[in-house]
Amino acid sequence: MRLALPVALVLLVALPWLTASTYIMGIAVSGVLMTVAAAALNLVYGFAGLLSFAAIGFWGVGAYCAAITVMDWGGSFWSGVALAGLVNGVLALAIGVPMLRTRRHAFVVVSITFALLCALVSRDWTAVTRGPMGIPGLPAPSAFGYVFAGSARFWFVALGFSVLALALLHALGTSRIGLVLKAIKQNEPLAQSQGISPLPYKLLAFVVGAVVTGMAGGVMAFHLGVVDPLIFDFYYMQTFLIIVIIGGAGSFWGVLAAGLAMVVLPEALRASNDLRMVIYGGVLVVAMLAMPRGVAGWLEDRRVAVLRAKLR
Amino acid sequence: MSGPVLEVRGLRKSFAGVRAVDGAAFSVRAGSITGLIGPNGSGKSTAVDCISGFQRADAGQVLLDGADLRGLTPQRIARRGLTRTFQDVRVYEGYDLLQNLLVVAQPFVGVGWGGELLRSAGYRRARVAAEARARELIELVGLTRLVEAPAAVLSYGQKKLLAFAGAMMSAPRLVVLDEPVAGVNPTRINEVAEIVRRANAGGTAFLIIEHNVEFITGLCEHVVVLDRGAKLAEGPPHQVHQDPRVLEAYLGVEAVA
Repeated sequence: MRLALPVALVLLVALPWLTASTYIMGIAVSGVLMTVAAAALNLVYGFAGLLSFAAIGFWGVGAYCAAITVMDWGGSFWSGVALAGLVNGVLALAIGVPMLRTRRHAFVVVSITFALLCALVSRDWTAVTRGPMGIPGLPAPSAFGYVFAGSARFWFVALGFSVLALALLHALGTSRIGLVLKAIKQNEPLAQSQGISPLPYKLLAFVVGAVVTGMAGGVMAFHLGVVDPLIFDFYYMQTFLIIVIIGGAGSFWGVLAAGLAMVVLPEALRASNDLRMVIYGGVLVVAMLAMPRGVAGWLEDRRVAVLRAKLR
Repeated sequence: MSGPVLEVRGLRKSFAGVRAVDGAAFSVRAGSITGLIGPNGSGKSTAVDCISGFQRADAGQVLLDGADLRGLTPQRIARRGLTRTFQDVRVYEGYDLLQNLLVVAQPFVGVGWGGELLRSAGYRRARVAAEARARELIELVGLTRLVEAPAAVLSYGQKKLLAFAGAMMSAPRLVVLDEPVAGVNPTRINEVAEIVRRANAGGTAFLIIEHNVEFITGLCEHVVVLDRGAKLAEGPPHQVHQDPRVLEAYLGVEAVA
């Protein structure tokens, strides 16, 4: 088990030498980026208990920020992604304060409204976003004269970003901040009675989640080579959410494993092209019926059951 | 005689025109164990919610060591030294016993998020001290052999003991216990009383809401009786239980006649 992480990292770094297919490399790039966005959603939903559909808004805003920095302001890819993080952080702080005062369903509805508004703005604010036409022709990023052109080279950018982002989320989740966040999710009044102020913690999770999601979206834009209102497509949100729920909300490694599975599974099913998505849907439904709290939740429930039996 | 740790004056709280608490006034002597009793619907739970900041009182004052708690959030009140347990026993079901107690804010005051994220020296010191304190309390409530078990596997009574340890974690001035032995196995009630006594010996005062007469009589030096949201009587437990007004409130007029 101790070797699992280094081995996985080496395999991931070596991926471009293991396959010659640009198609597979393209899947891998979008796969790690969506896994990062899912891990960020896990911080917001799995840890802080906030079912936020705003993630898709931050993802798209980040993509536009990075693209506009490069195409209109002459900045580099790197400054574009950094700006995507900054803009999303400020945006999340601004909308988070009023949003987090709403509860449960109201919060979900407000977060969906934010996501829809983002898509509307991207379509109609043509002076900045160029409307439905989008911003095409995003150049490959470069560093020290090396151009990360093509999926096999862009992979190192995506992988490097993902490892950093996931390391941050892991450090946060395993820190006392993560402990307190999940305590608030489990029983907010109890946490308050123990001297914890829920609002700053929720805001922290919401803002960090937005920054990471936005930067992932910024990297994604340069993988796609174009950013248009389709970046707000519900397909992305649904993928983030499925990864979190199947992996087990609140479990860092569960979500990471599910991210990998959700990338591999639809491709592995290509053997039968017509039934591919039907089988995929079937697997999801069965997984949810058997493990409503995700893989990590299912494992935890087994552990508790064994302990209970021992204590009887 | 030491002064009061808690003073409640003219406390009022109505819900949709129904007066749940109607001018209640009482105090808890520093370091004492005081009982708060009264028939169902007499306003005990609402009074506790107002004292601990979970409900905002319509009128009246709540003073902790002489400082007004009015308008403070529950977390601010907890940080000032007044903690509570809940009638519907509350623990973090998904956490083990140690994690349950390490959530408590007080040992980590002044560390900050940066220190917590980077595991600074200040954080590590606070963590060591907090864990030592948590293990002591788990020992006090007799759950040491379960320290690494998730709270979900505890029995109802054990969860109440864990919640009690959680309320003690910050070494508060006053702990309000909302029905500490209701639903607890009768053979274990004396153990709970002994645990409260031992915690009290450390200087923490207790305000205990409970229907179990034996428990209250054996433990409290002073008992306050609420009826219809106001104080009906107070005094040493034996005296209060013989007070005709108290018997009437509990049993109805005919029973007394």
